[in-house]
Amino acid sequence: MASTTLNPTAPAYRSRSTLYEWLTTTDHKKIGIMYLVNSFVFFVAGGILALVVRTELAQPGLQVVSEEFYNQAFTMHASFMLFLFIIPILAGFGNYVVPLQIGAPDMAFPRINALSLWLLPLGGLLMGSGFFVSGGSAASGWTEYPPLSGAKFSGTGTDLWIVGLTLIGTSSILGAVNFLVTIFKMRAPGVTLFRMSILTWTVLVTSVLVLMATPVLTSALIMLFIDRNYGGHFFDPNNGGNAVLYQNIFWFYSHPAVYIMVLPAMGIISEVLPVFSRKPLFGYKAFVFATVGIGALGFSVWAHHMFTTGAVFLPFFSLMTFLIAVPTGVKMFNWIATLWRGQLVFKTPLLFAMGFLSLFLIGGLNGAFSAAVPVDFALHDTYWVVAHLHYVLFGGSVFGVFAGIYYWFPKMTGRMLGEGLGKVQFVLLFIGMNMTFFPMHQLGLAGMPRRIADYAATSGWTELNLLATVGGFVIAISMLPFFWNVLVSLRNGKVAGDDPWEANTLEWATSSPPPPYNFDHLPEVRSERPVFDARHGRTAAH
Amino acid sequence: MSMPPRSRTGSGPLVAGLIIAAVVAVSVLLLAASGATPTGVWNSFFPVHNEGGVTDRSTSVQNLYDIVFYIAVVIFLIVEGLIVWSAFRYRRKPGDTELPPQTHGNNLVEVIWTVIPTAIVLFLFVLSWQTLNTVEAKVPSDVHVRAVAARFQWSFDYLDADGKTLFTQALPVGDTGGMVVPVGEPVLVDLRSDDVIHAFYVPKFLFKRDVVPGKTNTFNFTVEEPGTYRGQCAELCGAFHGSMLFEVHAVSKGDFDTWLADQVAKANATPPPSPSGAAAGPVVELGALNVAFSTNALTAPANAPFTIHFKNDDDKVPHNVEIKDASGGAAFVGDTITGVAEINYNVPPLKPGAYTFVCTVHPNMTGTLTVQ
Repeated sequence: MASTTLNPTAPAYRSRSTLYEWLTTTDHKKIGIMYLVNSFVFFVAGGILALVVRTELAQPGLQVVSEEFYNQAFTMHASFMLFLFIIPILAGFGNYVVPLQIGAPDMAFPRINALSLWLLPLGGLLMGSGFFVSGGSAASGWTEYPPLSGAKFSGTGTDLWIVGLTLIGTSSILGAVNFLVTIFKMRAPGVTLFRMSILTWTVLVTSVLVLMATPVLTSALIMLFIDRNYGGHFFDPNNGGNAVLYQNIFWFYSHPAVYIMVLPAMGIISEVLPVFSRKPLFGYKAFVFATVGIGALGFSVWAHHMFTTGAVFLPFFSLMTFLIAVPTGVKMFNWIATLWRGQLVFKTPLLFAMGFLSLFLIGGLNGAFSAAVPVDFALHDTYWVVAHLHYVLFGGSVFGVFAGIYYWFPKMTGRMLGEGLGKVQFVLLFIGMNMTFFPMHQLGLAGMPRRIADYAATSGWTELNLLATVGGFVIAISMLPFFWNVLVSLRNGKVAGDDPWEANTLEWATSSPPPPYNFDHLPEVRSERPVFDARHGRTAAH
Repeated sequence: MSMPPRSRTGSGPLVAGLIIAAVVAVSVLLLAASGATPTGVWNSFFPVHNEGGVTDRSTSVQNLYDIVFYIAVVIFLIVEGLIVWSAFRYRRKPGDTELPPQTHGNNLVEVIWTVIPTAIVLFLFVLSWQTLNTVEAKVPSDVHVRAVAARFQWSFDYLDADGKTLFTQALPVGDTGGMVVPVGEPVLVDLRSDDVIHAFYVPKFLFKRDVVPGKTNTFNFTVEEPGTYRGQCAELCGAFHGSMLFEVHAVSKGDFDTWLADQVAKANATPPPSPSGAAAGPVVELGALNVAFSTNALTAPANAPFTIHFKNDDDKVPHNVEIKDASGGAAFVGDTITGVAEINYNVPPLKPGAYTFVCTVHPNMTGTLTVQ
């Protein structure tokens, strides 16, 4: 149906190769897809590093890697997964979906959009190139606390990590400006703020968080770089600096970053749950306010990562950390109320969205333990925290990402992903995820600190570590049906049509894949579900 | 516009059932295979296997944990139950051609599920604040220890009332090492680091505190049960972070006083003649670098004295060699030397057999000594 051709074609306008087309494109859809592909490259790299870590921990004693490489492995695992997989892949969904959902032809600044994309592989390669310099990559954990990350204790890999992350941060900031301008200035007629999709709302709030927090991270990185290379003493206690200052600045970014990593995933499942329940999202406005509330409270909880430093005012951060559970809980209840009395269609996107609900619930509840400061004294920096953050970021964000991929793949490619393989992947991933990360609760309670390469055979941690390692490989295996599914479906998948899911939002009102500049005609927008309204004759059809 | 006909879409419950069955089956099999008992599994959900902490403050932390745990379990069961119930009850059935009721929301329930969680978290906040005051309470203490963390070992300075060091316990673990404290007496600990950030963590205390260079953190505790408690650095401090172990020995007040007096007397006595004397008997070479021995297998003659020439190449890191017999008892404990340095250990005659040699400071540095 919808298609546009440049007519008449200017004689000087030569057609270029497809590769050239993709490398130079400013089309938000192609850029969005490249965001996803780039993110998956780093997902695989980070996953391999995670398997190195898990393999080493399967048994007491050092079998696979040296202590030095072990530290590099978990540092780069986290750096890749957080900065080069979760954050960019969610930005990728935002890039692809948000202009479509608000009825815009493209992002507001298409060339800046291309710049945001191409900074990512550059930053990632710089970070990763640490493995090839003497002394290896950054190895002080993804948090890179000084003095350990200072020049005295860490090598060139840390400088590469700082420079790479600064570029990635710049990409985020440019992307956030672009999203904000796009969302505020480029909405189609009828798309008022309170008729925007929830995904668009979460991208909006996320962009505000990025804009306020990421420059602060950049400042911490620059100070660290000056300390390391030009004799600065910002974080050097021997010369009047303060080591805890870095932690304050770092977490002032990195706690809001947790919401940067999870809000858009919440947005994705808020698209998926209503479509596959055949109901509107329950409590749309409550949901919007909860999202804004999380964004605002998210700036007042950073020091809960620092309860054991002895340098923070504990009751305040404890209170705020408890309070931020409330808007998150409101969302959970609204999601369940969306399912309630619906007609659930169990396609793969819904499975992943319900997987998100089940696992993110655990990630929220085990977080409450650490909000109780005295309990955090016992659990901080143990495997309990590793369990908590993976239930939030893997059980939450990653399950949201897969829900989004199965949901929008037909729109992006015009073909459906196979349902059978999708369900196989879901079952394997769900089992593997719990097998890997659930035992970490008990390991933490039994006193196993995180970031150790080895433990004594007498410590009683062996069985649970072995179980977690087996689970890690189940997760790895669950990726095989996924990648196979993508490869096969790209060529031979069922043809999707414009609206295979009977969905609600504007991206389903155009062809799959959409033409350049997205729409020939837009349906009338009278609610947050314009395509639903058109399908059911509530507004004029497109 | 008419709805296109849909096939039965009920595979969700099947998938969910399969997942639940698989998870349950795998968990039960694995638990049975590893010899876990239901009680053991239940206890694994509580700090230090639900054995309880050993300090005056740990009981209140344990109680707070229990309250948070039970509330979390109840919320988990309710919410997860609602999710699973929805999956089974509200799946689309073949006859479902009409749309379900298009409910957009309900302000009353939004208020309810905002107010109830707020009440729960405020309750937990007040409770944890009270517990925090117990845990952080300062009490006058006669026993004053400065725990010094350095890459990659702990040492413990025992301080007098003026804060002067009486003596330094350089061995972090072992029968002659560790941080020795009296049972039932309040202990004040200062934390000090001159290199990077470490953390003082004793799981059985249900407590940890960062050791921050340039900042002296202090805390109080009273151990209530005699025993030896494992401790470990809990803040990444470099390659051998996992090797930074220590022990806390809680002994009776009388034993502590005797021990302290002995140690102080020893420290004040003139240092013994240098032990790096002439080598007696055959010489066995052993080195230490990067918190690892140069070899994990040594051989020595049986029933005759021999010498270990030990070379510590780790700059500013203390090491020694301890030889343990099959029962784990110490057959020989060498003096600790701080690198870079070397020493000759004159080892008494040993019976034939396999012995383990370790560095007392770094118990993960081990090897086998074959005496034949």
